[in-house]
Amino acid sequence: MSGPLTGYRGIVLTQAWAGSYATELLGMLGAEIIQVEFHGRPDSWRGSYDRPIPETVRDASGASEIQHPWNVHPNYNSVNLNKQCITLDLTHPDGIEVFKRLVPFADFVAENFAPRVLGNLGIDYDALRGIKPDIILCSLSAFGNNGPWRDVPGIGGTIEPISGMSSLLGYEGGPPLNSGQMYPDAAAGLNGFAGIVSALMHRETTGKGQYVDLSMQESSLAFIGDAMLEERMTGNVRGRLGNRHMTFAPHGIYRTADEKWVALATETEAQWAALCGISGRDEWLTDPRFAGNAARKASEDALDAEIGAWVAGEERDDLAGRLSRSGVIAAPVLDAHEVADDEALRERGFIVDVEHPEAGIHPQSGVPAQFSDTPATVQRYAPLQGQHTREVLRRLLDINEEEYNDLLDGGVTGAGPSN
Amino acid sequence: MKSGALNGIRVIDFSTSVSGAWCARMLADFGADVALFEAPDGHPTRRLAPFDDTGASVVAEYVLANRRSAVVDLEQPGGLEAIHAAVESADVLVCSSLPGELKPLGLDFGSLNQLNPRIIVCSITPHGSSGPRASYPGNNLTTAALSGWASINGLRDRPPLKPGGLQASYCAGTMGYGSVVSALLARRKHPTGRGQFIDISELEVMTSTFAPALLTSQYQDEPQSRQEKVDMSTGPVPVKDGHFALTISRPHFWRDAMNVLGLDDLAEDPRWATSWYRKAHTEEYVGRAQEKLADWNKMDLFDTLAALRVIAGPVLETDELAENVHLRAREFFRSPDGGGPELPGPAFKMSATPSHLVRRAPRTGEHTAEALHEFSGLEESAIDGLLAAGVVR
Repeated sequence: MSGPLTGYRGIVLTQAWAGSYATELLGMLGAEIIQVEFHGRPDSWRGSYDRPIPETVRDASGASEIQHPWNVHPNYNSVNLNKQCITLDLTHPDGIEVFKRLVPFADFVAENFAPRVLGNLGIDYDALRGIKPDIILCSLSAFGNNGPWRDVPGIGGTIEPISGMSSLLGYEGGPPLNSGQMYPDAAAGLNGFAGIVSALMHRETTGKGQYVDLSMQESSLAFIGDAMLEERMTGNVRGRLGNRHMTFAPHGIYRTADEKWVALATETEAQWAALCGISGRDEWLTDPRFAGNAARKASEDALDAEIGAWVAGEERDDLAGRLSRSGVIAAPVLDAHEVADDEALRERGFIVDVEHPEAGIHPQSGVPAQFSDTPATVQRYAPLQGQHTREVLRRLLDINEEEYNDLLDGGVTGAGPSN
Repeated sequence: MKSGALNGIRVIDFSTSVSGAWCARMLADFGADVALFEAPDGHPTRRLAPFDDTGASVVAEYVLANRRSAVVDLEQPGGLEAIHAAVESADVLVCSSLPGELKPLGLDFGSLNQLNPRIIVCSITPHGSSGPRASYPGNNLTTAALSGWASINGLRDRPPLKPGGLQASYCAGTMGYGSVVSALLARRKHPTGRGQFIDISELEVMTSTFAPALLTSQYQDEPQSRQEKVDMSTGPVPVKDGHFALTISRPHFWRDAMNVLGLDDLAEDPRWATSWYRKAHTEEYVGRAQEKLADWNKMDLFDTLAALRVIAGPVLETDELAENVHLRAREFFRSPDGGGPELPGPAFKMSATPSHLVRRAPRTGEHTAEALHEFSGLEESAIDGLLAAGVVR
């Protein structure tokens, strides 16, 4: 490991997306992340134990002969790089004891259970602080650790509407939509990562730990904070704008001749002039409806119709390339396979081919930050369930083979469905 | 002075983008002393709509809050020296200029690092500072297109849809913030305390948030696409007074929700308990359930399901959220100490070092003299000279 967080260790109970993404980012930046998974109540992003494995997963390049459904779920494997996984039944007295013995080895603990769960397990912040006085605990929950909705459960798909995000996503004049995957989890993950490094900074300067309380509703709201503030400052309730911008026009996604889509926008008059040059529609330059951004914004329907008619005769990649090279804001709309194959993202080392022992070799998104002095890289595939239990317990707790086997036999740890 | 996690850290905000400004905003919220060095025509976010009655940009009021502003004209002699002087005593500089724009100014990392080997420079640009797209302009629309997000947002027979608002900006700004703090941690451990260059690509951050769909698409033949239509299995559907998402995951959510809707046969049949079965038989339940949903008011249904601890999501708009009882109880909205409009935030609460909103967004050049004195170490007479010459304003 070589990232800026090398030397820090998290013993984390994160799961699904938000929590797992927060601790994955810490792991990508070099922290050692030991993720403790509930034996008997697996990470929901591993899917159910009886989930059928699709043919495409069985046939993947480098895939193993033996695949367990819980080790080959793309959701789990996408957000748990650079981690180790141990399993413990935290409802079992021996399981919770092992967990408590691990806490002194942690700089931080993170979790995204419902707020009452840690207390029920006897490992809430006060209990953890009793074990290690300078511990940092970060909780990510739907609505935070206090307030009237504290115990209301939620996931990205319900937080998106109840945070206002859905009210801003959709076509003009159309109904509110949820994103294609549960975006509030990603926003919460980024903020959870930010919260934990902030707490580490405070601990370095004062020696004190603290509790970080992240509400997914609030972290989503912070990311539409300008729309919230618009209501406070102007009284306007912002609606859905499709692909349009509050300020600039054109700003849209248009169909191309090869039945794909291109995104384009102009934010300066130089960009608009360049776009007109490339389109060959010289008349746009002298059209009073399009003279200046304010005029274009006021005539946006007409503008979009004209641009749509022009783009419909162009090929996606050729047009996006010509516009980009001329300084116009433009890009091809890529599908998920094209993103994975994107040469620019590969050249920067961001998309990397990750070899997973059961699922095979697949491209994945890597570290979204480059550090000149402490480079951070993808070091490990997402762990198999319980892959590191024995090694971690031996290394940190000096648990010997016999004790480990007792935990296995007692159903305190293990992989797959418990007996 | 209240305790902040980043107390004692001095930051130069040299950004010209929402993402850079958001990174600096978080640094300020958690205790750093941040000065915005802007050009005479002001930070570009000041020209973003919407505007209030006084002509103030809402976006600028949000992302530029909590820092002081100095106007320095880099095109005049003495301007660059004033910034270089500030760099010598700064811990962090946040910038968002495209690669190639900073070197001629003498503000690239190599130059700054010579002035101050401890400085951490965080660059946040659309495509990062290297690679084939480095010099291309980009924004929230193009990052949506290139990250894959647009390809899965919206409906299949309509255009791909970018995420609502400025998501790439906030995500990249937050990643920039976390990376800066990580570099500060690394600097403390390094024997010579040296700084480094952090290169954030808005596109890569958004692609990182796309990771589940990216890998799911690899594990199947087809890339994930947009929904054919919206039904309750995919998003909000109409209720009496708006829209409501009943995105079921766990078995008991399904059972309780179907019972509340009066669909006992769906509630009790165990086959419906697993999500993969429901996904394969969507047509058999969504019509019936949505018909029942249409009889409910959104908050009544939310309260009923919340009491049963079933996940549920009424679509709330910004005016409803501003008065939301839960957010008010958690004191999520606060005005700056020095007055100003109520801002939402922070995104997370820290028990020992809470986020602290000291001041509203500064007017362009509101603190030029004091920021130059404190950050650049200039004497009053020198500042007066620069002011008189119009180098700083």
